[in-house]
Amino acid sequence: MTANNFWRAYALVFIAQLLLSNYFDFAPWITATLLPAMILCLPLTLSTAAAMVIAFLTGLGVDFLADGAIGLNALALVPVALARNGILELVLGQEIITRKKQFNFRRNGFGPVALAVVLALAIFLTVYVWASTAGTRSFWFCLGYFWASVPFSLVFSLLAVRALAPTDIR
Amino acid sequence: MRRRSTLPAIVNVAVFILLEIASLYLLRHNTELQGAWITRMSNGFKSVIWGGSESVSDFFALKGTNNRLANDNYLLQQEVLRLQDYIRNARIDTMKVRSSAGFTMIPAEVVKMSRNKQHNYIILNRGYEDGVKEKSGIITREGVIGIVDAVSARHAYALSFQNNDLSISARLGESGGSGLLVWDGKGSRGAILKELPLQSKYSPGDTVFTSGHSLIFPPDIPLGTAGNAKIVNGATKEISVTLFQEFKAIRYAIIVHNNSLEEVEEFLK
Repeated sequence: MTANNFWRAYALVFIAQLLLSNYFDFAPWITATLLPAMILCLPLTLSTAAAMVIAFLTGLGVDFLADGAIGLNALALVPVALARNGILELVLGQEIITRKKQFNFRRNGFGPVALAVVLALAIFLTVYVWASTAGTRSFWFCLGYFWASVPFSLVFSLLAVRALAPTDIR
Repeated sequence: MRRRSTLPAIVNVAVFILLEIASLYLLRHNTELQGAWITRMSNGFKSVIWGGSESVSDFFALKGTNNRLANDNYLLQQEVLRLQDYIRNARIDTMKVRSSAGFTMIPAEVVKMSRNKQHNYIILNRGYEDGVKEKSGIITREGVIGIVDAVSARHAYALSFQNNDLSISARLGESGGSGLLVWDGKGSRGAILKELPLQSKYSPGDTVFTSGHSLIFPPDIPLGTAGNAKIVNGATKEISVTLFQEFKAIRYAIIVHNNSLEEVEEFLK
């Protein structure tokens, strides 16, 4: 996948996230998000600082165009960008960081990629649920909110990874 | 072992802190920003793009909607007659006007309403050109559904009752204690009446009304029925409430504005 194609796919997944934010109406205690997967799939040639800026702008874009509270997705997505290299190194090995090779299902296997997505989702949802409930809900409600959101988001996120996972961006 | 440079790590941490502070600032000042142009643009986008899709589902609910609308119109007419009568009497007795000025009511259609988050919103098809003002309440004949937060020329953006930031002053029964009614965050009809005095007496099934203490909503609007109670920190009582209003069914609403709100707020400054 060329860099241009990647950003085109990124824009399409962003639009998919807007649609998901507006039409995924299962319950107010379940959120479905593609955003952590989008950040995880950013080319590794980008520095962490650049990834954080992109995460901030992406989150803010969703807040502005679809979500209710401006700043909420941006707040939750920046930590994912900060932890991105760490997650990939932990799950997929150090080589992926040193050689700046992009991961995908074929090269790295479904299980490790799914695990990396789950870790990114966990970071995002922890911050999102915490900031979204803003101390007005019990710990058990927040825990339920978190655990209910993980599987729903994972299904959509894996589809997003499939669309975004580039093979040779340099 | 691979050597890591310190400088990129410092830059990363600095950028991280900066962006998180910016996000928190935006989140913290979200309500203030609603009045600014950036939020009006955001609301305009949401109402045009997402509102179009709502009209498809509206089409399939036309029959029921028309029935509800006819009923609402009937109730509105009654309200207008009552208010006209009230104004007539108030002209005679000016003291009465000062003590209890009325509410302006504007019928509106829900253009867009989110229900799938902890911070839900409503966009209505009435704006300042129609006389809608900020801090107006939004009601239906089955209860309270939100408060107008920002107004553009033809649209009003409101915080839904299904929003963690919103609480409504409510009263238990005809003459029971007053507390704050908040959404329970789970279902579309669940709410919690908080901060009730311990001595408040009630029976499960009692009706919960607006108290009229907030100046935003008229008093005595039935909101729901009381369920089980629990004592919080040994100091206050908390009661679960089942709302009359099913939020999934809302298509039309009435915007209510307290005519003396600005005057009272000016007085309190």
